Amino acid sequence: MISVADLLIDKQLPGNYFAVDTYVRGDLEMGLIENRQGDRLIALPETLIQAIYAGLEKETGQASRLVLFNCGRWWGKNFYARFREQLTDYYKISPADMAMVEFLQALQQCWIAHGWGKIDLDHTHQQRGFLVVKICNSPFARLAPQNQQTSCHLEAGILSAFFSQLTGRELHCLQTTCESMGSDGNRFVLGLQKRLEPAEAMVAISDHDSIMQRLYQ
Amino acid sequence: MHPQIEEIFDDAGSRYLKIEELRLVAQYASSVPERMATYRGLRDCELDVMQWVADQLQTEMPQEPETKLERSITNALLMLRHCGLAMLLNQDSIVKERFLNWVQPTVEVYGTQAIDARLYQLLNQRLDQALGKQMILLSPILLMAQNALLPQKVESANGVAIGW
Repeated sequence: MISVADLLIDKQLPGNYFAVDTYVRGDLEMGLIENRQGDRLIALPETLIQAIYAGLEKETGQASRLVLFNCGRWWGKNFYARFREQLTDYYKISPADMAMVEFLQALQQCWIAHGWGKIDLDHTHQQRGFLVVKICNSPFARLAPQNQQTSCHLEAGILSAFFSQLTGRELHCLQTTCESMGSDGNRFVLGLQKRLEPAEAMVAISDHDSIMQRLYQ
Repeated sequence: MHPQIEEIFDDAGSRYLKIEELRLVAQYASSVPERMATYRGLRDCELDVMQWVADQLQTEMPQEPETKLERSITNALLMLRHCGLAMLLNQDSIVKERFLNWVQPTVEVYGTQAIDARLYQLLNQRLDQALGKQMILLSPILLMAQNALLPQKVESANGVAIGW
């Protein structure tokens, strides 16, 4: 027989850890914004993000994309460590062992709580070794220079490091659509670097579906 | 606190509250003792009510795996606690942001709708017996949560659909 008392033994029922009203807290007088684990958060003014884009472009030109990607890699590695720690502490299970639906839920809610937009995973291409991630309402795309290039290099770096840590394989990340180019969302393809290479040059001239078809060849 | 009441206090520096705003505050303040009594009642009967529901479910649905039943019961406990808090603070966004956002997508994936539908009927019936008139405060938010999770409408045990 099911014992409800046993189900309540841990006292903590696993709800939405990343609910915004409980996740973000702080003491403004002390100059602190923290998450519910006590890790410090920082609020970025929009002008600072725009200034980072403009400053990098001016100082490093084309290399600014690589700089942002590598910053994202560093950020993503630490983000994964925190995410794993939070999930393991609260849900008593590591992200790698979670059911996919719960993992995705946690990731989506975490993304929203940090103000990074709505993230979704598309597993359609998983059998072929690719994972497609779509992010909508990204502040990093909205504040990027609006031109004919994808601009979420920071997020591409984050996703690359995050999913590399999660899967234990070194994954690269290629952005195929961008809100800064008028698309309905930012699509990223994750896979092994040598398998993504053939599509790198197509990003500026092809749509997402054509790039996926090319990757299948 | 209810967002409408919270907003009232935003403008404290420029004026005193209008009559209708004060009425809103008074309405909430006068309902607090009843809300607290209902919250305490819910807290105290939670275990007995849910154990009865769990026993009934296992008897009625012996074909369902225990892990699936446990998942539904755990989600129902989570729902009760969030609805209780939302009722106490008169803030239904708590249920949406902290409970529905989390549980809604998993219900479909794990296919527990049939169990949940029967669970909610049993739960509402038992809560009506345990809390009596106190259900007036809890019922609307509980039905809102249950209806959000199930395609078919859930009604309160006495058949009266309370407007939300």
